[in-house]
Amino acid sequence: MNYITGYYTTRFGELWDKSLFDLVEEALRGVLKQNNLESSQIDAVFFGNMLAGVLENNLHSTSKIAEILKINVPIFRSEAACASGGVAFNLAKTYLDANPNQNILVIGAEKMTDYSPEETITGLSAAASGEEQEAGLTFSGLYAMMANLYIEKYHYTEENLAYVSVKNHYHGSLNEKAHFRRKISIENVLQSPYVAYPLKVLDSSPISDGASAVVLTNNQDIAKKQKHTVTILASEVATDTISLKGRKNLEEILATKNAADKAFKKAKINREDIGVAEVHDCFSIAEILAMENLGFWKKGQGGERIKELSTMYGNNGDLIVNTSGGLKAAGHPVGATGIKQIGEIFLQLTKQAEKRQVRNVKYGLAHNVGGSGGTAVVTILGI
Amino acid sequence: MVGIVSYGFYVPKYRIKTEVIANVWGKNPEDVKKSLLIAEKTVAGIDEDSLTMAFESASSALSSVDVDRSKIKIVLFGSETHPYAVNPASTILAEFLGIEKNYLAYDTEFACKAATGALISAQGLIKSGYSDFALITGSDKGMGKTHDVLEYTAASGSVSILLGKDDLISEILDFESFSSDTPDFWRREGIRYPSHGGRFTGKPSYFYHIDGSSKSLFKKTGLSPKDFAFAVFHMPNGKFPIQVASSLGFSSAQIKDSLVVNYLGNSYTASALMGLMAVLEKAKTGDLIFLCAYGSGAGADSFVLRVTRNLEKRRKEFVKAIKDKKYINYPTYLKYMEII
Amino acid sequence: MISPIKIWRRQKEIRKILGKKGKVLVWTKIYMAGSDFKKYAPYPVVLVELENKEKIYGQLVDYRDTDLKIGKEVISILRKVRSSTDEGVIAYGVKFKPL
Repeated sequence: MNYITGYYTTRFGELWDKSLFDLVEEALRGVLKQNNLESSQIDAVFFGNMLAGVLENNLHSTSKIAEILKINVPIFRSEAACASGGVAFNLAKTYLDANPNQNILVIGAEKMTDYSPEETITGLSAAASGEEQEAGLTFSGLYAMMANLYIEKYHYTEENLAYVSVKNHYHGSLNEKAHFRRKISIENVLQSPYVAYPLKVLDSSPISDGASAVVLTNNQDIAKKQKHTVTILASEVATDTISLKGRKNLEEILATKNAADKAFKKAKINREDIGVAEVHDCFSIAEILAMENLGFWKKGQGGERIKELSTMYGNNGDLIVNTSGGLKAAGHPVGATGIKQIGEIFLQLTKQAEKRQVRNVKYGLAHNVGGSGGTAVVTILGI
Repeated sequence: MVGIVSYGFYVPKYRIKTEVIANVWGKNPEDVKKSLLIAEKTVAGIDEDSLTMAFESASSALSSVDVDRSKIKIVLFGSETHPYAVNPASTILAEFLGIEKNYLAYDTEFACKAATGALISAQGLIKSGYSDFALITGSDKGMGKTHDVLEYTAASGSVSILLGKDDLISEILDFESFSSDTPDFWRREGIRYPSHGGRFTGKPSYFYHIDGSSKSLFKKTGLSPKDFAFAVFHMPNGKFPIQVASSLGFSSAQIKDSLVVNYLGNSYTASALMGLMAVLEKAKTGDLIFLCAYGSGAGADSFVLRVTRNLEKRRKEFVKAIKDKKYINYPTYLKYMEII
Repeated sequence: MISPIKIWRRQKEIRKILGKKGKVLVWTKIYMAGSDFKKYAPYPVVLVELENKEKIYGQLVDYRDTDLKIGKEVISILRKVRSSTDEGVIAYGVKFKPL
């Protein structure tokens, strides 16, 4: 059995005072301190990050972490665009499956605000195919295409999408570490400027800095002695074409479906058992598609179901989604998101979620996507 | 006999009206229109250049005939707004058209007569047996300094001509060229906008060289203006071609169809050739067409063309095609021309 | 500066898809663009299915807003596709215009 025994996250936001590795250091030291661990007790580190190569000209981050913590153990970096964090976690869990008695760290981090929006948008386009980049399709453009198809096929409007942002901003107001802490209205969303039609600024997750880290172990004794312990029931990765045009259906993310099916099978539980979930809402449409593709909602019904706001904290729904504020309000420092999502489920299951604590949750799910759906990671945790 | 096998033209979709420009600079629009005889001009989009326009006109020319592209061994690209100062656009064009690789290519420059000069050289190469066909393009995204008269006239467009020796729509019966060193209009390397000598561009330049070239050709061929159904001259504005035609002895009826400058502006190396496009829409078998292109710096190439009955099967609609247009305002014009 | 070799390799592929007709499968309009495309913004991008079933992305140009719809017939044309530096090789590529 594999366990998560600790979680620390920096604030997400425009963290001008901190460089990428300042953030990495803060998260690593933070999680070690919380668990009363010395860096010498760590057997391996897994690091998820997307843009350090493109924006910072750093492609040996693993060695940089060794320098920071003054350790010599194996350190690995994963690359999967926005799913880098989730994939790092998956690789860490697989490492635990293969190596007994390990205490390991998984950290995701991203520094995005040192650069102009154009440079960052260009950097994020690295998640898209060369042809998509050449056609001037930004990352938002790809999700905008999916939104357009979805809206047209199921006869929804931009208003349906806006409910996602409103819900997640409300959650963000309950999360001290979130990038955005203010609530917004449907009108606010509909009146915000377009980024790529029909997606507007308030349909889109922001450019944020941040780092999040978790401690994993497969040592039963250590796990039992920790104040907070959660069991990793499943972590599955699935991939698909990098090009949106290569997918079988352009308005669904098949990789999500495949990863979810594998994860639920492994965990031996059903969709109804999940009480709290962190899904990948890089854009409002993405949360709707995620709910459908993960199997929580029927295909095509997402636009209607989101309006019920049953997944919003405080509405007594059976499944509360994105209590952290999601990517939209908590922020989306790309490589950190996958870990933050898992960390949020950890907080919920161990009753540490304070103002946004969902009651009586036994199982939680985290869903992390790379690019327009080229990679998906689904993780199921239980207590 | 060498001549035109097929032809193609391309005019960008956008137009800006003379009055829109005049109003920006506080000039009386009617005065400007009256003095230049230009109501509007073409503007190429921000992502168009002489090469992309040449591809359109050349594709059109090649679509009219079933030519084995490996037999097109001459590709010449005439422009004043070449995409590069050093790098042949002729090979970029040829490659996109699927012409490869045993061919001669080069880019030509002689202000507005870069393409007609190339026509003359190419027909010589065909006559010598080097190639069965030659593809010649005149293509420009004409620049004019803001608040200058060129702003009203400099336009965008492209014309492509496929020369050959069989199955011609128009024979090139004869030609002549007249050259001198006359600095009426020029552009230094690295400088964005051309400069010109004002009124000096008239009598000692445009008129002197067209006159010299035309009269030389009349003498050589024994022909005179009355023998021609149509006459086409380079059109830097709407007045000069009318004046030079008249001074040579052509009637207004002979040149009226060619005066595309009135509603398209002056597309530099494509200017006279665009006038030819308008005329070919109307010309009949056996018609003689007089074509004289002028290039600043300066020189003039004149041609006697005779229309064959093949024009009928390859004739292209011109007047209707150019009606597909969209008017833009001044800031959009500046954006498309990358002035801002 | 974009690699001239990448442009050269790409142009060989572009040649094959010029002058082809197709239908718009999905479209969007980009308002916030990356560095290379900033000066063209806002611009529509379409995913087109050509007559031979091949799918191609490209900007839509010379359009009216009413042309932005799923199913619209378009044709592929040659245009400059991204703004390189003043010194770099010019990148020509495929865009679409409505039929």
